[in-house]
Amino acid sequence: MMTKAEQQTELKSFQNSVAMTVTLISFGMMFAAMFLGYFLVRFNSPTWPPVEIENMPKFLPLFSTIVMALSSLTYYMMENKPQQRKAYIALTLVLGLIFLGSQWSLWSALAESGILISNGNVPSMVYAFTWIHAGHIVIALGLVFWIGDFVFRRPEALTVGKLVNVGKFWHFLGVIWLLMYLMLFVL
Amino acid sequence: MAFLEQHIHDAPTSFWSKYIFSFDHKVIGKQFLWFGIFWLGVGGLMAMMIRWTLAYPGVPFPLIGGLMFPHSGGVVPPDTYAMLFTMHGTIMIFFAITPILIGAFGNFCIPLMIGARDMIFPTLNMLSFWFSMLSGLVLLFSLTLPMGAAAGGWTSYPTLSTNIGQPGAGQTMWLVSLFLFGVSSTMGAVNYITTVITLRAPGMDYFKMPLTIWGIWLTAILNAIFVPVLGAGLLLLTFDRVFGTTFFLAGAAATSGKGDPVLFQHVFWIFGHPEVYILILPAWGITSDLLAFFSRKPAFGYKMTALSLTAITVLSTVVYGHHMYTTQMSPLLTQSFMTLTMLISIPSAIFFANWLGTLWKGSIRFHSPMLFSLGVVFVFGLGGLTGLYLASTSIDLYLHDTYFVVGHFHYTMAASVLLGGFAGTYFWMPKMFGRMMDERLAKIHFWATFIPLNGVFTGMMVLGYAGMHRRLYNPFIYEFLQKLMPINKFVTYCAIAMGVAQLFFLWNFFKTIFGKNIPQASANPWEVGTLEWTIPSPAPHYNFDEIPHVKCGPHEMGNPNLKTGRDYQYQTEELVKS
Amino acid sequence: MDISIPHRLIGLVAQGSELVVKASEQMSLWERMQPPVDISTSGHLIHWLFNYTTYVNLFWFALVCIGLFGFSFLYWEKRHKKALYTHGNEKKHLMITAFIGLGVFLSVDLVITKVTTRDMKEVFWNFPVNDPELVKVQVLGQQWAWNFRYAGVDGEFNTADDVVQLNKLVVPVNKKVMIQMTAKDVIHAFYIPNARIKADAIPGRFSKLWFDTTKTGNYEIACAEMCGNHHYLMKAQLTVLNQEDFDRWVKESQQIAIATNDTENMDLRWGWKWESR
Ligand code: HEA
Ligand code: HEA
Ligand code: CUA
Ligand SMILES: [Cu+2]
Repeated sequence: MMTKAEQQTELKSFQNSVAMTVTLISFGMMFAAMFLGYFLVRFNSPTWPPVEIENMPKFLPLFSTIVMALSSLTYYMMENKPQQRKAYIALTLVLGLIFLGSQWSLWSALAESGILISNGNVPSMVYAFTWIHAGHIVIALGLVFWIGDFVFRRPEALTVGKLVNVGKFWHFLGVIWLLMYLMLFVL
Repeated sequence: MAFLEQHIHDAPTSFWSKYIFSFDHKVIGKQFLWFGIFWLGVGGLMAMMIRWTLAYPGVPFPLIGGLMFPHSGGVVPPDTYAMLFTMHGTIMIFFAITPILIGAFGNFCIPLMIGARDMIFPTLNMLSFWFSMLSGLVLLFSLTLPMGAAAGGWTSYPTLSTNIGQPGAGQTMWLVSLFLFGVSSTMGAVNYITTVITLRAPGMDYFKMPLTIWGIWLTAILNAIFVPVLGAGLLLLTFDRVFGTTFFLAGAAATSGKGDPVLFQHVFWIFGHPEVYILILPAWGITSDLLAFFSRKPAFGYKMTALSLTAITVLSTVVYGHHMYTTQMSPLLTQSFMTLTMLISIPSAIFFANWLGTLWKGSIRFHSPMLFSLGVVFVFGLGGLTGLYLASTSIDLYLHDTYFVVGHFHYTMAASVLLGGFAGTYFWMPKMFGRMMDERLAKIHFWATFIPLNGVFTGMMVLGYAGMHRRLYNPFIYEFLQKLMPINKFVTYCAIAMGVAQLFFLWNFFKTIFGKNIPQASANPWEVGTLEWTIPSPAPHYNFDEIPHVKCGPHEMGNPNLKTGRDYQYQTEELVKS
Repeated sequence: MDISIPHRLIGLVAQGSELVVKASEQMSLWERMQPPVDISTSGHLIHWLFNYTTYVNLFWFALVCIGLFGFSFLYWEKRHKKALYTHGNEKKHLMITAFIGLGVFLSVDLVITKVTTRDMKEVFWNFPVNDPELVKVQVLGQQWAWNFRYAGVDGEFNTADDVVQLNKLVVPVNKKVMIQMTAKDVIHAFYIPNARIKADAIPGRFSKLWFDTTKTGNYEIACAEMCGNHHYLMKAQLTVLNQEDFDRWVKESQQIAIATNDTENMDLRWGWKWESR
C-alpha cells in the first residue's frame, strides 16, 4: 500500500504522460499531413527522384541523421545514468547544435547544387520539411537546455516527469527526422 | 480509488491577476465568452452587409455604409464583398462559435461537472486564451490593411489564395492568425483531454459524466488530432506566399516549378470536415443534457447517445471527400466517401430518437434553456437531413457551391450550434455570474430568433435549389437568377430581423451582469443534480473545498422512490431504490 | 482581360437595378422556386433522386415534428405533473431507437447511394468517348472569362486553324457534347444550370464532363467556384442550335478562323491534344 504522497506523485506523472502523449499525437498529425502530401506527389510523379533533385547532397543528410541518433542515445543515457548526467546532457546539447549546423550547411549545399526552393514542389518539400523540423529542434533544444539548467544548478528539483517528457519530445523529433531522411534523401 | 488532489492556493486579489491574466478556469471561460460574443457581433454585422448587398445590389448600405465605403458612395464594392463573406465565415466559425461553445463552456463546465478544482494545466489554459486573443487581433488588424483582408473564401483554396490571386498581405495575415488560433485550440485540447481523463472525481466514471462533457471531450479529441493537419496546410501555403515554394501552384501561375492546388483541398478538408463536428458536438451534448433536465426525467438511452456521439466522432474522420466531388477524384474514392458519409446518419438518427425519447412522458418545463434546446432539435433535424442530398454525388453535381450548401451549413452551424450556445449561456449564467437572466427577455429572444432564422435558412435552400450559386456579389447579372430577387429580399428581411433579435440577448446579458439590484441566483435554480449545482452560485474559488464522491448518474430525476421532497437527486447521493 | 473596377461597378449597378425591374414581372412564388428549364438528357436523374430524398426526408422530419410538438404539448408540466422514471435502456427502447436509425439508413441513405452509384456509372462517368458524332470542345477558365476551342478544318486541336471563342459555347441539339477543361490562373467551376451539371476547372489538371441537349435556344454558363473579386462576372453563353444552323455556324467560323487567326501568336495556342480517355 503506497503512502498518499507516493500516490500523488504516481498520479502526477501519469497525467503528465497522458498530456505528453496527446501533444505528440498532435505534432505527429502535423507531420503526417505533410508526409501525406509527399506521398501524393511521389506517386503522381513519373520518375523518382525527379530531375529537380537528382544531384542532391548525399553526405550531409546522412551526417545529420547519425548526429540525431547519437543525441537521442546520449539523452537516453542521461535519463538512466544519474551519476554522469552532467556529461550526457552537455553532449546532447552539443550534438543538437551540431545537427542544426549540419542542416544549415545542407541548405547552402542545396542552393549551390542548383536546387532552389522555387524549382517545383519536390525541392519545395526538401526545404519546407527540413525547415519546419529544424524549427521544432530549436524549441526542443530550449527544453533540453532547461533540463540542463536543472541538472547543473538544482538537481534536487529535477523530477522524473520533466526528464521523461522532454526526452519523449526529443526522441520523437529524432524519429521524424529519420522518416524525412528516408523519404527525401534515400528511397 | 486514488485521486489527485489539486492544492488550493488563496484567491488572487489584484485586478490583473483576477480578471486579466487569471489561471482560474471559470474566469478564462468567461473571457472566452466575452471574446466570442464580441466576434459574433462583428460576424453578424458582416452577415447583414452580405444580405443587404444581395437584396439591394448597388444600393448604399444604410446608416454606416457611407462611412465604410466612401469611394463607392456607401455601396459595398465587389472586392469588399469577397472580403466580407470570407471574414464572416472565418470569424463565425473560429472566433465566435469555437470560443463560445468550446472555449467558454469547455473551460467553465469541465472542472465543475467532473468535480475538479480547476483544469489540470492552468497556465496552459491561460496561454490558450491569450493565443486566441492574439490571433483575433491579427485578424482584426488585417481588416485595416490598404489592400484589404483575405478575400478567397473561408476555405481559401489555392491558387486563388496564393500571390497570384491574393497579392495583398491580408491573406498572409489570415494564415498567421489561423495558425495562432490552431496553437491555441491544440493547447486547449491537450488540457481538456487530460483533465477529463485524470481529474474526474472519485466515482465519476465515464458513463456517469454529463453528456455535455462527453460532447466537449470528443470535440477536444478531434481538435488535438485534426487542427495540426490544418496547421500543416497553413504553413505550406504560407511558404508558397512568402518563400516562393510551389506546393500549390500550377498552370500559368507556376512559372518555375509545378505543384498541385488540389493537395491543399485534401489537407483542408481532412481538417475541415471534423471541424464541423468539432463545432456541433458540444452543442449536441448540451442539448442532450438540457432536454433531460427540463423534462424532469433521465436522458433516454444515455449510453446509446454517448456511444453514437463517439461513433460520429470516429466516422467524421473518414468522410472529408464529400466536399471535393466536383474536383473529380477517382470514382472509387468518390463512392467510398459517399457511402461513409451516408453511414453517419445512423448514429445521428439514433441520438436524435433518444432526444425525442427523453421528451416522451416527461414533465416538461419551458424555461428559456429548454426552449433553445427544443429549437436545436428542430433545426438540426432540417440541417442534418439536408446533408443527405449533398452526400449524393449526382445531386451534388447540381447543388455543389450553390446556396443549398449555404443553407445546409447555416442550419447546422448558424442554427443548431448558435441556439445550443444560447441555451448553454442561459442555463449556466447563474453559476457563472451568480445572477439569473431575465426570463421574459430570454423568451422574446428565442421566438424573435427562431422564427426569422428559419426564414433565412430555408430561403437559402430554395435559392440554392433554384440554381443560385455561392459567393456572388450580384447574382442578378444572370438572367436565370433574376426571378429570385423577391426571395433574396425575403431572406434579407428575415436576416435583419434575426440580427435585431440578438440585441435582446445583448441587452439581457449586459443588464444581468452589470445591472443594479438584480436578485442573486440560488445555488440550484434549475433543480438539477449535476455537481456544479451542489455548490453556491457563483461557483466559489476552487469550486469544491471538499472533493465530491459521485454515486449516481447525471440525470437522476423523477425517481418515484425519492423521499427527500425533491424530484431530483444530486450525483453525490446514493441512487435510491425501492 | 482588363477590368477597371469603378467602371465595371457602375455598369453593374445600372444593370442590377434595371434587372430588378425586369425580374419583378408577375410570377407565382412556386414558379420562382423552380430550377431553370432542364435542357439535358441527364437532368431528370438528378431530379428524381432529389424528389425521392425530399419525400422520405419529409416523412422522417414529420415524425420528428410529431414527437417534438406532440410531446411538448402532451407532457407540459401543467398537464403532466409526474414524469415517467425510465432510463430508456430497456430492450424494447433500444429496439425502437435502433429501428429508427436503421429506418433512416435503409429508407434514405441506402436507396440514394444505390441510385447515385447507378446514375454515375451509367451516365455521368460514362463518357461517350467513342461516339462518332461526339462534339468535342476544350475549355479554358481564366479570371474572369471562359475560352472555348473547337478543332479547325484539320480536326486537330491546338493547331493554327482552331475555332476559338470567348464566353460563347455553341452546340448542336440532340448531340452528345464532351468538354475537356482546365484553368489558366485559379480554380474555376464550369456550371451549366440548365444541364444540372458542374465540374471544377483546375490549373495543371484536366477535368471533363459531357451533356446532351434536348432544346435549342440561348442559356447561361456560370462559374461556380470562388475565383476572385469578379467571380460573379464570369458568365458565358450556351447556344444550342439545330443541326443545320450548327453546321453553317461551324463552316463560317472555320473560315473566319483561317482568315483571322494570328498563327504567330503562341498565346492563342492554349489548347492541347484531345485526350481520348
Ligand atoms: C455543424 C456543422 C455541420 C454538420 C453537423 C454537418 C452534417 C452533415 N453534413 Fe455538412 N457541411 C457543413 C457543416 C456541417 N455539416 C459545412 C460548414 C459545409 C460547407 C463548407 C463550405 O463549403 O463552405 C458542409 C457541407 C457539406 C457537404 C458538401 C456540399 C458541397 O460543398 O457540395 C456535404 C456533402 O456530403 C455535407 C454532408 C453532411 C452530412 C451527411 C451530415 C450528417 O452529419 C448529417 C447527419 C444527420 C442526419 C442524417 C439527420 C438525423 C436524422 C433525423 C433527423 C431523422 C431521425 C428521425 C426520427 C428520430 C423520427 N455537408
Ligand atoms: C457558425 C457560423 C455562421 C453563422 C452563425 C452565420 C450566420 C449568418 N450567416 Fe453565414 N456563413 C458561414 C458561417 C456562419 N454564418 C460560413 C462558414 C460561410 C461561408 C463563407 C464562404 O463562402 O467562404 C457563410 C456565408 C454566408 C453567406 C453566403 C455568402 C456568399 O456565399 O456570397 C450568407 C448570405 O446570406 C450568410 C448569411 C448569414 C446570416 C444572415 C447569418 C445570421 O445568422 C447572422 C445573425 C446575426 C447574429 C447571430 C449576430 C447579430 C448581432 C448584432 C447585429 C449586434 C451587434 C453586436 C455587437 C457589435 C457586439 N452567411
Ligand atoms: Cu471563375 Cu468563379
Ligand atoms: Cu463535411
